[in-house]
Amino acid sequence: MKSTSSWWKYLLFVWIAVWSAVGIVLPIAGNLADLAYLKQVNAPGEIQIKVDIDHNLPAEFDPEEGMFVFQGTDGGGRKATFYVPSKPEGFDQARSLLVEARYDEDRHGVRVCQVVDVDPGLTLPYIPGLGERARIIFFHVPMAWMTVIAFLVSMWYGIAYLRKHDLEDDMKSANAAGLGLLFCLLATITGSIWAKFNWGSFWNWDPRETSIFVLLLIYGAFFALRSAIEVEEKRARLSAVYTILAFVTVPFFIFIMPRILPGLHPGSADDTSGGPVMSSGGLNAVMRVILYSLLAGFIVLFAWLMNVRNRVSRLLVRTGIEA
Amino acid sequence: MKTMRAVWAIFLKDVRSEVRTRYAVNALLMFVVTTLAVIMFSLAGEVMSPSAQAGILWVVMFFAAMSGLSRSFVSEEERGTTFTLQLCSGPLGVYFGKLLFNVVLVILLNIVIVVLYLLTMDQFVINQPGLFWLVIFLGSLGLAASTTIIAAIIARASSKGTLFPVLSFPILLPLLMAGIDATKLAVEDNVWDAVWPDLQILGAYIVVVVTASYMLFDYVWKD
Repeated sequence: MKSTSSWWKYLLFVWIAVWSAVGIVLPIAGNLADLAYLKQVNAPGEIQIKVDIDHNLPAEFDPEEGMFVFQGTDGGGRKATFYVPSKPEGFDQARSLLVEARYDEDRHGVRVCQVVDVDPGLTLPYIPGLGERARIIFFHVPMAWMTVIAFLVSMWYGIAYLRKHDLEDDMKSANAAGLGLLFCLLATITGSIWAKFNWGSFWNWDPRETSIFVLLLIYGAFFALRSAIEVEEKRARLSAVYTILAFVTVPFFIFIMPRILPGLHPGSADDTSGGPVMSSGGLNAVMRVILYSLLAGFIVLFAWLMNVRNRVSRLLVRTGIEA
Repeated sequence: MKTMRAVWAIFLKDVRSEVRTRYAVNALLMFVVTTLAVIMFSLAGEVMSPSAQAGILWVVMFFAAMSGLSRSFVSEEERGTTFTLQLCSGPLGVYFGKLLFNVVLVILLNIVIVVLYLLTMDQFVINQPGLFWLVIFLGSLGLAASTTIIAAIIARASSKGTLFPVLSFPILLPLLMAGIDATKLAVEDNVWDAVWPDLQILGAYIVVVVTASYMLFDYVWKD
């Protein structure tokens, strides 16, 4: 009996859990430019912004206004006057505050409705129109990537089977496709629920939604084909051919269509932010680190799940339960 | 040269067998007539936008191809002539012979569909006939290219009839989307520039699928 060490599996779970928690827990904070933008488009409501207190300038209670007034700068170096009903706790020691604020027309300053946190540390950027919903990027984007990576792995082993005629490769190809189907479902479901709240309906036939739908169909067709062929070698050969054939047509969807057609996702033809979120400068460093860390975690998770599934398949073959 | 002769011989064999059984004339024509009748009934005099009309035209073309094109390989399997073909010709001759037959069949079929469509739909006016027929031609080539290799795959599987559209649809979707969009633009009196990206997608799709099929057919065909 060969025993495998398990410390890295615990490390993997901790890694994914910690980065997920960071992605969920870190507060979202905008800056004064976001406030100005919201005023410009007449959007209602307040957003959280992070402000560095300027202790060199006077900060005192103004009896005329009935407000505590202080000066501050945001992350981009923009200065503003802040009005808050009472002096926030720990104000004198604090370097920065996380406040819920809106632009105040009468005073030409920022009206603080509530102080959320003192010295908040790392924050995620506020994205107009998304707000708290921007956090989906940490889970949905890695899922969509894993769908494509699993498909690539499946095709890779399909090619390996056609070259060497080793049924082990076919088994790996099928196992990768099974995991790909799982990730594909997760990406579709998370995206669909999110779309209901952000875009108004569960499904909009945005080009990128079409592309994930086609991947779902391909995975479904792959398993339908496999279940329709009895002879192993024939099944292995034909499903390998089908994955390769599907893989050469799918780039039209995943890499070309979403970019040349107008759509709702970032990176569409009518998107001015330029390129998909991953390659554009629109993502700030904190978001980038969390996203890449989770992506790496999910890739290792995929490799481990593949390994477990392959071992199960091998056992099934050896015990004769499954030919 | 030998392969060219084999391609031509297999094409002629399929044409001859088609003329004798009249499968395409009987089944496919009736299929098209039935589908158009169903569309007419469900419309009940409603006037459709050009984009909806272009879409429905492609629905008819897609399902007509789905009902007829799998026969090229399935019939060989059913008649038990696969081994004879394997003995008589190399895989390339068989693939390109079948592809040629399917291309001719789909082009004729789509011409019949468009003519019937024009006769039955009064509001369907093609503003750019040259462009429209070019799109139909490229669409037919793409339909034939991807369905030929899929037909070769499903001929080897059980439950052939249901598997064919299931396997074909995801592979065909880039073609269908570009084709529907280009047809809509050609019907709506657009200039070449507007349709050019779609034509590029159609052309690239045909090249990619035929190349991949050419490289993979050997694995499908030989046991």
